[in-house]
Amino acid sequence: MTALELISLVTQLLFVGLFVAVLLAALTRPSRAAWDTVLLFGSIAAVVAVTRFAALLRLPDAPWLTGLVLLGLSVAPYAMIRLVDDFSRVPRWLLPVGAVAFLGVGILGFAAFTTAPILVEVVTIAWFLGVGGYSAYAFAQAASNSRGITRSRMTAVAIGALVFIGTIVMAFVDALAAAVSLEALTQLGALVAVIAFFIGFAPPAWIRRAWREPDLRRFLERSIHLATLGDERRALVEIQQAAAVAFGASGASIGLAVEGRPVLRYVNAAGDWVEYPDDAFIAGQAFREQRRIVAMDAGQVDPDHADVYRSSSATTVIAAPVTSEERRIGVLSIYADRAPIFVEDDLWLLELLADHTAVLLESRKIATAESRLRAREDSARLKEEFLSAAAHDLRTPLTVVLGQAELLERRLERNPTAPVDPAGVMRLAREARRLRDLVSELLDAQRLEEGAAVMDRNPADLRSIVESVRHRYHDQGIDLKTTLPGEPLVGSIDVPRFEQVLDNLVENALKYGSDGVLPEVHLDQHDGEARLSVVDRGMGVPEDEVDRIFDRFYRATNVQSITDTGIGLGLYICRRIVEAHGGRIWVEPTPGGGSTFVVSIPAEVPVPETDQWSAPAAWPVAGSEAAADA
Amino acid sequence: MRDVRVLIVDDEPDIRATVSAMLEIEGYEVAEAANGADALHALEDRLPDVILLDMRMPVLDGWGFAAELRRRGHRTPIVVMTAARDAAHWAAEIAAAAFVAKPFGFDDLIEAVEQVAHPPA
Repeated sequence: MTALELISLVTQLLFVGLFVAVLLAALTRPSRAAWDTVLLFGSIAAVVAVTRFAALLRLPDAPWLTGLVLLGLSVAPYAMIRLVDDFSRVPRWLLPVGAVAFLGVGILGFAAFTTAPILVEVVTIAWFLGVGGYSAYAFAQAASNSRGITRSRMTAVAIGALVFIGTIVMAFVDALAAAVSLEALTQLGALVAVIAFFIGFAPPAWIRRAWREPDLRRFLERSIHLATLGDERRALVEIQQAAAVAFGASGASIGLAVEGRPVLRYVNAAGDWVEYPDDAFIAGQAFREQRRIVAMDAGQVDPDHADVYRSSSATTVIAAPVTSEERRIGVLSIYADRAPIFVEDDLWLLELLADHTAVLLESRKIATAESRLRAREDSARLKEEFLSAAAHDLRTPLTVVLGQAELLERRLERNPTAPVDPAGVMRLAREARRLRDLVSELLDAQRLEEGAAVMDRNPADLRSIVESVRHRYHDQGIDLKTTLPGEPLVGSIDVPRFEQVLDNLVENALKYGSDGVLPEVHLDQHDGEARLSVVDRGMGVPEDEVDRIFDRFYRATNVQSITDTGIGLGLYICRRIVEAHGGRIWVEPTPGGGSTFVVSIPAEVPVPETDQWSAPAAWPVAGSEAAADA
Repeated sequence: MRDVRVLIVDDEPDIRATVSAMLEIEGYEVAEAANGADALHALEDRLPDVILLDMRMPVLDGWGFAAELRRRGHRTPIVVMTAARDAAHWAAEIAAAAFVAKPFGFDDLIEAVEQVAHPPA
């Protein structure tokens, strides 16, 4: 046996093997595409069988034999355009015309091979080049339009088709023109074609694994951070997007089971939760029956929701339950605007993504539980810190209150008619007030910490807040210097809380500012933000502490030993309130010495034409930020 | 009856005033200082019999004051008064004769001062 004969034998065995493989696939999972594949390789296998048997039985080169081979071969281009139609779409008229043409070519070959061999050969070459070439081009087109494993398989099919067509044409040319011998080239071409077809139509497991890897990696890379993402709806939407991308599908959706109720929760286009009965849609069916469902034509499988599928361009829906061990977590469905080409690969990927989704959702649960635990620990530590801070800072005023009260008591005991000691009574009252302030500061901080300080935010002009604080100080004989913009500067503000911030900053400026220089308060506008600055000319904040002074119980080292009624919570409370307004607070040095505390919150100059002012939609709903932080 | 002079060293004016009043009504003679440095200054005038000493103060704290006092060779007894939890520990650190933890009442204070001013023989 020569090398060429060996190649020919291997090629023919591979074609027969491929026929058996696609036949088995079609029998286990029948579909039009599967049977069209059987038609393609069946015709080739038939040609192989006929020629081999003829050789085996040493049949002479009978014309009917050649005719049979020609008829068999002419099926191949027709089967190819049918496959193209399965994978993408061909013009409507092409299939019936193709069917007529292949019969014509076949019958011509059968009947006229002996009388007009040249004519038959030319027609056959034209048939192959035209229809076969078109199919090969369409496969390449389908490959470039698809992605992932489908793309790889389609590419192999396109290469197979192209080489196969070329090989057949070469074989005819070889037979036609005796001067040239293309036998070696045709044998090699046939081998390449069958290998490419094998890889495309019946890829071995190891090739599939290699092809799938990038899809999976992409999905995992996109979705791994979602395990710790705070917002569950956003996490779901992102998992859906990652799944759709990994699939090359137009969309994906995840329905989550709700404990104790027969519903599935989805996130709708607006980002809100929506609930449907847990048997609604194809997804619901997959969830209820805990099995994969492939609905090639979703509208036909679930006619009740046909319009829904149409409007979300979901011609085909494949769905798989998402489970963790025995627990039913939900269901993952993928929509595509055309039927999947290689269903088994898509199902495999779907199941893998469903498993990964389960892992992601479960790890989210663990992460949430962990952060809840951490929050509980934080709150326990916070309480301890509060206790020890309170114990220390409440002791000094308490000493005065207790001592002074007992002193008054002694005096009364010794001499009931003695005049009251005005200085002592004033000390008593002053320190009792200080105790009250410390206690309310502690409670305030703790409420803010626990997120219970409900923010009641309404549109308010920041100028009036500054004015009211200025008036309050004026009544105490302190004249703050304030500068305000000419136009109203309106933000969504919890007015009493915000006044507390300004009060606190002014109080600090008075306490730590330099004697005789009153604090200044400036309000101005800065790209959609209101900036409120409280300027003092005091000792300033050490540069390495500018961030920490807003932490709870932190007091700048250069003020710690100075007489200070605070407990280290004032600026912390300010920061929490400002952050609950969607703003920021920071400190910068005042040129020439001292500190400038700056508060920046979203605010704008209202449009004068409309007297009805409303908050921009981008602003967080009242209280939502405080709640999210807690 | 008693001619005992007490120096009160605390940065909180209300504490000084209250403690002063409590001691005065018991017949002690009192002087006040707002921090360790002020107190050292006051020593130069006249040496007290007892020093009531807050520990955390600006300029010169309780530790600094006590060290300087001993360095100058004075053996005046010190009563530590502090709001800190480790009052006893701090008192031991500077070899104080006694301590009172804030918040202290009338009797706590007088008892501590009396014990130091007239140690049981």
